[in-house]
Amino acid sequence: MKFLHYVLRNARRSPVRSLLTIGAMSMCLALMMILISFLSVNDAVASSLRTYNRLVVMSSQGFAQPVPFARVNEIAGMKGVKHTTTFAWFGGKYHDEPMPFAQFGVSADSIFSIYDEFTISPDQVKAFADDKMGCVIGRKLAEERNIKIGDPLPLKGDIYPLDLNLTVRGVYDGPGTRDLRMCFFHWDFLNEELKRVSKNSKMTDNAGVVVVKCDSADRMVPLSKEIDNLYLNSATPTRTQTEEAFNQMFAEMFGDLRGMIRTIGLAVVMSLIFVSGNAMAMALRERTTEIAVLKAMGFQRPLVVNLVLTEAILVAFIGGLIGALGTKAFFDVVDLSKHSGGFLPFFFVPWPTAILGLGASLVIGFFSGIFPALAAARLSVINGLRKVV
Amino acid sequence: MGKEHSIELRNVTKTYKRDEFTIPVLTDLDLVVPEGEFLALMGPSGSGKTTLLNLIAGLDNATQGSVIVHGQDLGGMSDGEITRWRSENVGFIFQLYNLIPVLTAFENVELPLLLTNLSKRKRRDNVMTALRAVGLEGREDHYPRQLSGGQEQRVAIARAIVTDPFLLVADEPTGDLDRKSAEEILSLLQQLNKGFNKTIVMVTHDPEAAQRASRLLHLDKGKLVHDEVRNNLEEGVASS
Amino acid sequence: MIPLKYNVRNLRVRWVNTLLTMLGTGAIVWSSCILFGLVEGLQHSMKVSGDPLDVIVMRKGSTSETNSGIELTTAEKIPTLPGIARDEKGRPLAALELLNIPVVERVDGSRTNLIIRGIDPVSTELRPDFKILEGQGRMLEPGKGECVVSKNLAKRFKGASLGSELKVGEREKYRVVGIFSAGGSAAESEIWVDRKELEQNTAREGITSSVQVRANSAEDLAALKQTIENDTQFKLAAISESAYFADQSRSSAFLIVAGTIIAVLLTIGAMFAAANTMYAAIRSRTREIGTMRALGFSRFDLLISFLGESVILCTLGGLLGLAATIPLSALTYGTSNFNTFSEVTINFRFGPIVMAVAFVMTLAMGVFGGLFPAIRAVRMDVITALREV
Repeated sequence: MKFLHYVLRNARRSPVRSLLTIGAMSMCLALMMILISFLSVNDAVASSLRTYNRLVVMSSQGFAQPVPFARVNEIAGMKGVKHTTTFAWFGGKYHDEPMPFAQFGVSADSIFSIYDEFTISPDQVKAFADDKMGCVIGRKLAEERNIKIGDPLPLKGDIYPLDLNLTVRGVYDGPGTRDLRMCFFHWDFLNEELKRVSKNSKMTDNAGVVVVKCDSADRMVPLSKEIDNLYLNSATPTRTQTEEAFNQMFAEMFGDLRGMIRTIGLAVVMSLIFVSGNAMAMALRERTTEIAVLKAMGFQRPLVVNLVLTEAILVAFIGGLIGALGTKAFFDVVDLSKHSGGFLPFFFVPWPTAILGLGASLVIGFFSGIFPALAAARLSVINGLRKVV
Repeated sequence: MGKEHSIELRNVTKTYKRDEFTIPVLTDLDLVVPEGEFLALMGPSGSGKTTLLNLIAGLDNATQGSVIVHGQDLGGMSDGEITRWRSENVGFIFQLYNLIPVLTAFENVELPLLLTNLSKRKRRDNVMTALRAVGLEGREDHYPRQLSGGQEQRVAIARAIVTDPFLLVADEPTGDLDRKSAEEILSLLQQLNKGFNKTIVMVTHDPEAAQRASRLLHLDKGKLVHDEVRNNLEEGVASS
Repeated sequence: MIPLKYNVRNLRVRWVNTLLTMLGTGAIVWSSCILFGLVEGLQHSMKVSGDPLDVIVMRKGSTSETNSGIELTTAEKIPTLPGIARDEKGRPLAALELLNIPVVERVDGSRTNLIIRGIDPVSTELRPDFKILEGQGRMLEPGKGECVVSKNLAKRFKGASLGSELKVGEREKYRVVGIFSAGGSAAESEIWVDRKELEQNTAREGITSSVQVRANSAEDLAALKQTIENDTQFKLAAISESAYFADQSRSSAFLIVAGTIIAVLLTIGAMFAAANTMYAAIRSRTREIGTMRALGFSRFDLLISFLGESVILCTLGGLLGLAATIPLSALTYGTSNFNTFSEVTINFRFGPIVMAVAFVMTLAMGVFGGLFPAIRAVRMDVITALREV
C-alpha cells in the first residue's frame, strides 16, 4: 500500500500516546489470554488424549462409589483390550499439607504400558514393581520438592484411615500436556493395608476407576457399551467413557465460571475499544487541519477512512502481538503450574487461544478506529482549514 | 463563452446559518477569471474573500448561483466527484503551509501523486521536477521542522503543482513570512503564472503582494467594490 | 489551590473523551469486581453456615465431610453423649449424615459432582433458617424415595425442579417434593434425602460421613469435644462448625488469587488509558497552564489540580463500573468447590470487599495514570507554554 509509510509515521507521531494505547492493550489482552487459557488448556489437553485409545470406567453413581476390583481383570479379558489398571485416588496429605499432589493406587505391571507417553527407564519400572511399598513420581514433583529416587514419601490418609510410607523407586517424564506431578503406588499395597486396619469391608477391593487401553480407536465406542451393559444389572453399575470425555468432565465442573470468564473477556474487549477509540479520537482531533488539507488535495472519503482505520488497527495489532504472543511466550518459559499449589497440573497458552487474542486485537482496532475514521471522513474541509487561520 | 473563460461565477450568493440568523457572505457576485490570470483578492476581514476562494477551488458550494469552471458546474457534482476534480485541477497553498510534519519534503510533495496511478519511478521524476521548479533540490529528505518558513512554503508550492493542475489557489501565502522570503514566494508564483500559464487566485492582506498580480479585486461586505487589471506591471517587477 | 470546579468544567468540555475514558475504566472495574462479588458471596455463606455451638464430628484425619467415613455403630453413640442440646420434642440435636457425590447433569448438559446429603429428621434444626419455601412443596418423608432440593440447585440441574424425578444413577432416583432455603448457608448447594435410603441406594450400610451436633452451652461444647476426641475407640475429631467452614472457605482463595491477578493487570491497563486521556487534556491546555503559572499558581498547585482531575475522571468510571455490578446481586453462580470437587452455588454479593476493590483500583489508576502527565504539565516552561498556539 502506497500510503503505508504515512500511516506508520502517523502511528509514531505521538509515541507516548501510541505506547500507552499499546500498553493498555497488551496488559488487558495478557489477562484475557490467561483467563481463556485457563479453560482452553483443559480442552487442548482433553483432545490431545484422543490418540491414546484409553477408556475410563467409573461407577455410574460417581467417584464416591466403588468399582469392584474384580472388574479390572474381567475387563482385561474382553475383546480389543490391551491392558487395564486400577486408578484409585488416595487423596492423602504430605507432611500435613492437604491435597499436595495427586496419588493413585495402580497396577505396577501395566501402568506404564497404558500410559505409554510417559518415559521412564525399564530399571526403574522393575524397581517399582519389585517393591510393594515403592512408588513412582512425576519429574516436576521430584524437581520442585527435591525428592530423589530412594527417598521416603510418607502420605497421611484423609479419605482412608491409614498412612502410606512409600519409597520413591522411579521418576517418570512426559509431554507438557500431562500431569508430571502425580504419584503412582501399588494398589495391592493399599488394599492389603485397608484390610488390615479396617473392619469395614466397604472400603476394600475398590479399584477407584479402571483405566483401559484399547487395541484400536474403532473398538473404543463398542467396548464402552459392552462394559456398561455387562454391569448394568449388578449392584454397582458402571459408566464408561473415553479418557477425553472423562477429562472434559472435570473442565465442565468449572460451571458458570466458564461463562463468567467469557463475560470478563468481552468486557475487557469493550473496554479496550473505548480506550483505544478515545486515543484515536484524540489523535485525530490534533490532526484536524491536516485531514482537511488531505481532503482539499483530493483524498476521497473512503481513502481517509482507510488511512485512519489502518492506523488504529496497526496500533491495536502491535498491542495484540505483545499481549497475546508475549503472554504465550511468557508461559512457555515460566511454569505457572509450579506455583498453583497443585491446583493446575499444567498451564500454557494454546495456539488457538493466542490466535484468538490476535484476532480480538484486530477487532478492537477496527471498532476503535471506525468512528473516528468516519468522523474524519465527514469533517468539513472549510471548518478544518479555518481552525488554523 | 466557456472555453476561453476558465472560471465563471454567475449571480453567486453565499450565506451561512448561525443559530437562527442567516449571515450573508457573498451577494449576487458575477466574476470571470480567464485562464492564465493571476488574480489577487483583497478586502477587510469578513469581506468574503476566503469564501470566494473556497467556492472557486471547489471546497464549498454556493447557496445560489453557479460556479462554472472549464464549462463544468461545480455545484452539480457529488462530494466524490468534486474531490476527484480538485485532485486533478487545483493546487492549494496555505498561509501556514500545512505540510504533514511526519513526512519529508519529498514525501509531502509526493502525497497528491499517490492518488494517481503513476508508477513509483514516474512519481519520483515528477516530485524531483516540482522540487527543482521551486529551487529545493537537495532538500528532499528534510522534514518540515528542519526547513525555514520560506522553504516550507516552497515545498507546499511544489506539492500544489506536482499534479500539474491548471489552477492554484493561495490563501495568504506570504502572511507568515518575512519580507525577503515573501518576495521569493511571490516571484515563484509569478513565474508559475507566466512560464507555465497557471491560473492563480490569491487572497492577501498585503498590498505589495497584490502588486504582483495581473488583476486586483477588492471585496467589501460580500460585494466587488474594485476591479483593476494591471497588464504591464509584472514585467517590471520580475526584472527588478 | 486551583478550585476543583476548573477540572470538572474541563472534563465536561471534553465530554466525549471523558465519557469514553469512563466507559473504558468502568468496564475494567466491573470485570474485576465480578470475581470479588463471588468471593464475598462465598465467604458470607461460609460465615452464616457456622453456628458457634455446633460441632461437626468426622473421622480423625479427614479434612472434609466428603472424605470422612465413620462406622455407624460408633456414630450412633454420639447423640447419647451428655451436653447436647434438645429440641422442643426432646430429641437430641445430633444428626448422623451421609454424603454422596454423584456426577449429575446441569440443565445445560454439562456435568459436575453434586453433594447429596442423607439426613436425620433433626438435621433441619441444625441449619440456620432452614425452611421449605412457601408454596414450594413440603419436607421429605423418610423411606419414600423423596428428596428436597435447595432453591439454587432446583433451577440448575436436570430433574431437580419441584415434582420431577432426580435420576442420579441406574439405581438411585428421588422424587423432588420440596424446595428449601437455608439462610444462604452452605446447605444451599445440596440436595437432601433420607439417610437410610441413601445408605441402601449407595450400598453403604453401616457407614456414615459425619455427625452434626449442637451443644447446650459453650462449656458443654468444650466438654463434648474433649469426650469425643479423647476416646481412643472413636478415633474421631470434633471440629467446631465455624472453624470447619473457615477452613472450607480456603477454596475462595482461588477466586481471590484469580480476582487479584485480574484486578492488578486490568488496573495497569486502565492506568495507561487514564494517562492517555490526561496527556491529551494537558497538551490541549498548554497555554492555560502557562497562564496559570504566570498568574502565580505554584507547580505544586498544578500537580494537585491535574492529579485531582485524573482521580475525578477515574472515580466517575469506577462508580459506573461499581453501579453495573449491582444488578449481578440477583445472580447465582455454580462452580466447583476445589476442596471437595463438588458443585457449590454462590450468590453474588455486593458488599465491602467489592467496594474496597473498586476503590483501590480507582485510586490507583487515577493517581498513577495522572502522575506522569501532571508532572509533564508542571515541568513546562512558562514562556514556551504561553507561546503555544
